[in-house]
Amino acid sequence: MTALHWLSATDAAQAIARRDISPVELTRALLARIEQLDPTLHAFIRLDADAALDAARAAETEIANGRMRGKLHGVPIGIKDIIDVAGLPTTCHSKILLDNVAMADAVVVARLREAGAIVLGKLSTHEFATGGPSFDLPFPPARNPWNPDHHPGGSSSGAGVGVAAGLFPLALGTDTGGSVRNPASCCGIVGLKPTYGLVSRRGVFPLSYTLDHVGPMTRTVADNALLLDVIAGHDSADPASAPSTARDFGREISRGVKGMRIGFIRHFHATDLPAHPDVAAALEEVARVLETEGATVRTVTLPSLVEFAAVNRVILTSEAYSIHASWLRERPGDYGQLSRRRLLPGAFIPAAAYVGAQRRRTQMIAAVEDALRECDVLLCASSMDPTSRIEDAAETARTYPRQARSPFNVTGHPALAMMSGLSRDGLPLSVQFVGRYFHDASVYRVAAAYERATEADKRRPPIG
Amino acid sequence: MDKDLIAALAKSAGLDKALADFPDDVAAAVAQALATTGAIHVPESPAAEPWPPMRAGIGL
Repeated sequence: MTALHWLSATDAAQAIARRDISPVELTRALLARIEQLDPTLHAFIRLDADAALDAARAAETEIANGRMRGKLHGVPIGIKDIIDVAGLPTTCHSKILLDNVAMADAVVVARLREAGAIVLGKLSTHEFATGGPSFDLPFPPARNPWNPDHHPGGSSSGAGVGVAAGLFPLALGTDTGGSVRNPASCCGIVGLKPTYGLVSRRGVFPLSYTLDHVGPMTRTVADNALLLDVIAGHDSADPASAPSTARDFGREISRGVKGMRIGFIRHFHATDLPAHPDVAAALEEVARVLETEGATVRTVTLPSLVEFAAVNRVILTSEAYSIHASWLRERPGDYGQLSRRRLLPGAFIPAAAYVGAQRRRTQMIAAVEDALRECDVLLCASSMDPTSRIEDAAETARTYPRQARSPFNVTGHPALAMMSGLSRDGLPLSVQFVGRYFHDASVYRVAAAYERATEADKRRPPIG
Repeated sequence: MDKDLIAALAKSAGLDKALADFPDDVAAAVAQALATTGAIHVPESPAAEPWPPMRAGIGL
């Protein structure tokens, strides 16, 4: 029998609905695992154990009385600490906001509660969802469960760590330049940046208005679709929110990829930012697996990854500076050095450069749209290297920008990262799938076919 | 880059305190801003509009 802490959310929800397990039993099992592992992994900034147990008891009573709230009734989840949970501080992992208690739930958290999910607490991040793993902040950085000497990716670090380590089956992260998909890649789990506008950002501390996304992080593709079902939907108070779209994002995950056309963006990792050999070999193997499963794979070309990254950086830094300018002027010493260095450049980017980046962005969107007229889904690298040692600041600084995630923050297309194998050193490698706007279900279809063929969801970090 | 120019840019942005306490971070920020903006091929056609397009009545 599967240990409770390794149950998928889908299996847990079904077992709870059948009353095979109780929400209290599941929550207690996860709290015990958190007590055992989190002193090393630091996934949590704030664990809200009492409230979680109260919610679990309430769920148990409701279910016993035949009242099912929704798809996640009784299933625990962790929330990145830039997302508001009423009554808890949203610190953004920063000294600046240590006492910033949220007055209301973010829309995504409210939707989780409506579906019956149990909030365990707030998860560590890079400061203000930027910067990197830092040791000069009020809370320690999270560590990778595959090897705690290594960086777990970020900025949704605690979310990636906790899901991979079996501290919880579900987490919410955010993604402005790759911050859901980076920890998913480093920790060997599934992370989706949904189509821009699909998930409300209201109640989430902004980093960059036109690049920010909220996304689900899970151990399986099916769980990811389940969580997206719960959090997606129109929000009239979010200016970027799209009109209501179809739900049931997992509707295609059993279809397989026979007849699908996959566009492989090889130049991202072959020439733009040459990847570690283990990463490149794993990507070719992903393509081979999908061909074996019946898809056709062809090479496609987009603008250079270096330019995509520059457009993302100019837009992100400009928009972020408009948010942080007054704190940077008055309290620069209250930021960690990494985030201070990430945010200050926004003071020196001319308005014309920002608008120029947004004009180039329109062309980049058109290029990806062209590729997706010829292909159903795109395949490319996520990270170009296995994750670095967390205390090796120089290696982290070298490898951190070597990624292919930010192009799809620039364009807004749905993009999913998942494990593609292990490096020779036993660290997760990753692949990324990208779909058409609002065809997040097609991305899940390809990811699920790959997951079934390789049993990627069965791999666990060596922590018991 | 010239230190006086960096100082002038920082002061014009109101970053006097950051300049005094973290001069290396400010200098690095100026260098990064220059390097990043120089890597973009801004469209030459005046008809190339920025994203997102203005759409009156959409949104709030």
